[in-house]
Amino acid sequence: MTSIQGILIAGFVIAAIFASTVFRTKLVYRLMALLLFLTATILVIFPDVTTVIAHALGVGRGADLVLYVSLVTGIDVALLLYLRIRDLEQRISRLVREVALRDARHITAATEPESTEKNRVTTRL
Amino acid sequence: MEPSEVFVIIPAFNENAVLRSTVSGVVSFGYTVVVIDDGSDIPAKSHLEGLDVYCLRHAVNLGQGAALQTGGEFALIHGARVIVHFDADGQHRPELIERLVNPIVHGKVEVVLGSRFLDANDRRMVPRRKRILLKTAAFVSWAFTGVWLSDAHNGFRALSRTAAAKIQLKENGFAHATEILDLLRRAKLSWQEVPVTIRYTSYSQAKGQSMFNSFNIVIDLMLRKLFK
Repeated sequence: MTSIQGILIAGFVIAAIFASTVFRTKLVYRLMALLLFLTATILVIFPDVTTVIAHALGVGRGADLVLYVSLVTGIDVALLLYLRIRDLEQRISRLVREVALRDARHITAATEPESTEKNRVTTRL
Repeated sequence: MEPSEVFVIIPAFNENAVLRSTVSGVVSFGYTVVVIDDGSDIPAKSHLEGLDVYCLRHAVNLGQGAALQTGGEFALIHGARVIVHFDADGQHRPELIERLVNPIVHGKVEVVLGSRFLDANDRRMVPRRKRILLKTAAFVSWAFTGVWLSDAHNGFRALSRTAAAKIQLKENGFAHATEILDLLRRAKLSWQEVPVTIRYTSYSQAKGQSMFNSFNIVIDLMLRKLFK
């Protein structure tokens, strides 16, 4: 076994443990992560397998195939995360808006600057 | 119709004393004024003591679109008949609110949009660089929504109660101006443009949208089209 194989496998093991901790409550994610790292480890130990698959798909080298696949996966993951963030943004907006509506104040000419409780506008949501 | 049934929504983010003069100008016409403090460092409330206004505060800064949406919901809950969007920086003139509200009150259209390019005098007041930027914005808005406006990013507009209920802004940032057009078309709401004079002060110029920000808006719009 070459040293790069050792480094990669060590990296996969750490990532697998990490993923398993992060997805503690999600069995499906956990299994998917485990499967992914298992496959990756096998491919690192037997690199010829990737070459065979690459040739079958019309790619010259196994390493190139791995690069292409990881690039596409990376972009997909980035888009998925973007959608998640957008969704979170919408949720935060709703939350902030509800609080703003609930705590609306009516300032009037007679309002003491700090007597806020009295000028609360009752807003039924 | 009572002027108090017209709710003027003024979003404010880190505005200084200008906010007070803008707000008091609108209040003097008898309209119901709703200031949305969009998470300013110094609460906008401190500029508004003694004025007859409603003040709502976002706990964190969300953006102008989000602030207008909050104001709109507040206005609908409290019985508004017409909802007006008004800038805090003093570039809009409160005496023109009537001009925007009238077509809605008379039942002619559901939405009225202010334009600084309909009247020759107003047009002349727009600085050259700004004119090019705004015309580009109008073109981009048309490309995204199919609605052709002479002035697409004019924040001065009025919505009927019905229209406001149908227009739910999801674009928190400045892309809401184009989003509104998109929603207008989808909801098949009738609209018209009316001429408005914009006051260009050094303060409103500095606060206004920069070239860089326009780029951001276009990106927001593209993302919006891609990921509904």
